[in-house]
This record gives sequence, C-alpha cells and structure tokens, in this order.
Amino acid sequence: MPKLTVEPGDVTVDLLDDETILEGLYRNGFAYRIGCRRGGCAICKVDLLQGEVIYNRPVADNVLTESEQTEGTCLTCRAVAVTDVRIALREDNLRRVSSLMSLYAATRTG
Amino acid sequence: MAVMRMGYMHVRVTDLAEAKDHYANTVGLYQTLEQDGRVYYKGWDEWDHHSVVIEEGGVGYVKCGFKCEKPEDVSDIETKAIAYGYPVVRMVAGENPEVGDGIRVTLPTGHQIEFYSQMTAWGLEVGTHNPDAFPRHMVGIGAPRLDHALLWVDDVAGIEKFFMDCVGMWATERVQTSLDDDAHTIATWLTIGESNHDIALLEAPENKIHHFAFEMRGWNDILHAADIFSMDDVPIDIGPTRHGITRGTTIYFFDPAGNRNETFSGGYRCFRDRPTVVWTPDQLGKAIFYHSRELNDRFLTVAT
Repeated sequence: MPKLTVEPGDVTVDLLDDETILEGLYRNGFAYRIGCRRGGCAICKVDLLQGEVIYNRPVADNVLTESEQTEGTCLTCRAVAVTDVRIALREDNLRRVSSLMSLYAATRTG
Repeated sequence: MAVMRMGYMHVRVTDLAEAKDHYANTVGLYQTLEQDGRVYYKGWDEWDHHSVVIEEGGVGYVKCGFKCEKPEDVSDIETKAIAYGYPVVRMVAGENPEVGDGIRVTLPTGHQIEFYSQMTAWGLEVGTHNPDAFPRHMVGIGAPRLDHALLWVDDVAGIEKFFMDCVGMWATERVQTSLDDDAHTIATWLTIGESNHDIALLEAPENKIHHFAFEMRGWNDILHAADIFSMDDVPIDIGPTRHGITRGTTIYFFDPAGNRNETFSGGYRCFRDRPTVVWTPDQLGKAIFYHSRELNDRFLTVAT
C-alpha cells in the first residue's frame, strides 16, 4: 500500500493498489482543484517530487507530454503510485472537506 | 434562412471502447456507422445519419458541421466567408461518410466549421407514421438530439461577426465589460432559428471546445439524467441547475476522455427582433449558475 505525501502541508495518506492519486485523496476526505477526472483537461497536474507513478489507462499526448512526464509532471486523475510518492500541488492547497472521511478512510466495504 | 441547425459535432477520445459505452449506453445515442477508427451516432429524435462522431486518439475538438436548407445556401456562405477573409475549402460528397458536398471554413482560432445541405436520411426512432411519444426501450438518458456547442476562442467579437455576417446568426445574449455600446464582448450566444443558441463563444487563452450539448425534453429528464450519471459513475461538473443566461436547465458532465457534455432543456423562443440580453462580469456567477450564483473552479478553466 503506497504512501502519498502532499505539499504544501505535508499531509500523508495511504493509497490503495490501483487507486489513482485523485481517488485516494478524495477517499481520505480531501479536495483540491480538479476538472474532468478523466485525463482530458490537465488541470489536476502536480509536481512529482519523489517516487514513481504509472498510467494504466491511455492519456492523450497533448494533455501530458513525454517531456512533462520526464520532468516530473504528474496527472493525478490517472496516475497510480507504484512506490511511496511525494507530490507538490501547483498554486493550490489541499482542503480537508471531511475529517470523518479522513478518520475512517481505512474502513471500507469495497 | 440558410443554416438550419448544428448538424454534427466531431471530437477525439482517448479510449474508443470507453467512449462508445458512454455515448451509446449512458447518453443513449444510436450507433449508425463504425469506420476507420470513427464511430457515428444519432439521437432518437434526429432523422439524419449522424450528429456525433467520435474518433480514437487524443481528446478535444475536431470539427462541427451546420446543415443548410439548400445547396445555394452553402454557396452563399462560401462567398461571404471568402469575402470575410477566412480560408474556405470545398468538400466533396463522401469525404464525411453519408454527408454531401459542402465547404469547410477554418476560423482564425483553427476551429474547422463545415457547412453542408445533404446527409443520408436515417429516420426518427419513433418513425413518422402515427408515432409514439418516445422510443419504448430508450437507453441511458435517452438524449433526443444534439443542440449546440460552446467554443473557446481568443477573439469573440471577430468570430461572432463571422457567424452574424456570413452565416446569418444573431446574438440572443452576451457577456460584456459594460452596458456601453463600445463594450468588449467576453462571451456571446448565437442562434439561427428560435432556440437560444446554436453556437456560443467564450473568450479564453486557448482555442478549444468547452462543451457540446444535447437537448432534453424538460427538467424531469434532466433530473433523471443526473441519476443515470451517478449509476454510471459519470463525473458531473455541475448540476442539475439552471442558467441565468438562456434560462435553460442543465447538467454539465464529462465523457470518458474528459470532453465536457451538457444536457440542456428549456430556454425561451427567440425571434430575430428580440433585444439581446446583456450580462456584466460582476454578475457572471448568477449568469452561469442561477442558483449557486458562484462559479466553481472548473467551469471557466477547463476545456478540451
């Protein structure tokens, strides 16, 4: 189970296997600036500071270019962490929308 | 009247299988052709061969087409568009499957707009002989027809003038910097017939598509559509709600590639002598989302 750490704020959450970074943060009661959730609009891009992500679904070249990927840009609605990762939001802050969801994030029914 | 309506919208999708599931099973369109990596659809209340085309690879706008009543209307737009200074090429029948001769105009933004007067007839799903009110086994939200699109452009006034002077449209509503005559136009809603808009233009730094919309049969169907979106895990941008602009009821949602779609219903009938409604930027929240009266952080920043 990869750990995700988010800057600013140094917030850490556990990600499920095959869960995108976006899904993991929202499941843990957090919100940030997102758009289509489907890899098309690019607004949920962040900087990947440490760790490795994969894209297990197609992402359009004009949304996330190869050089962006090399330089550490991560499209959070499609990126799945395969190691512990640290990301930095771009001109945005993580907002906690539910402390209950954060508290009980480990309790799941599937 | 030269142009009758927006006839088709053609967009790219990153995953054809997922997009087919969305447009057929969630939006409820009828597939009429699959050829060369493109899939063609029509709504149940449309009679022409197709109104939506999806193409695998990438995301976003490819082109749209407006259907004219007669071939002479296409020629008339060709003459005017050339005089206006926009590049125009002729397209021959079959270049778009099942579409007749026409022209393709390239706006300075790069958006391609096609005009044609013939498309293979397919027929209404309810037929035209003693028809029922809707298809008995509608799928998903059962979108009846394509309605309009909103394009992101960097020169609203210039492109608005093209649609008015060359295509014969007029503005039902505008967002502009002030109520003065020399105000800068930020957005415009253009119509050719009696609907609120057939195409809308919004000032933006990039030339993209903001959304394309399907006309629904009323608020009940809008609410029902939102229920279906939850069942099918379709990301909703906003809604169900009402627009201040056009008074239409709406849901904005995203297809599996991230292209924004809309279900739209209502609005008022527009006659050509109706005065243009004007909104100012301080009221933009209410203009766009009449109930929440504030913009979310996606609506004006996300397009494909």
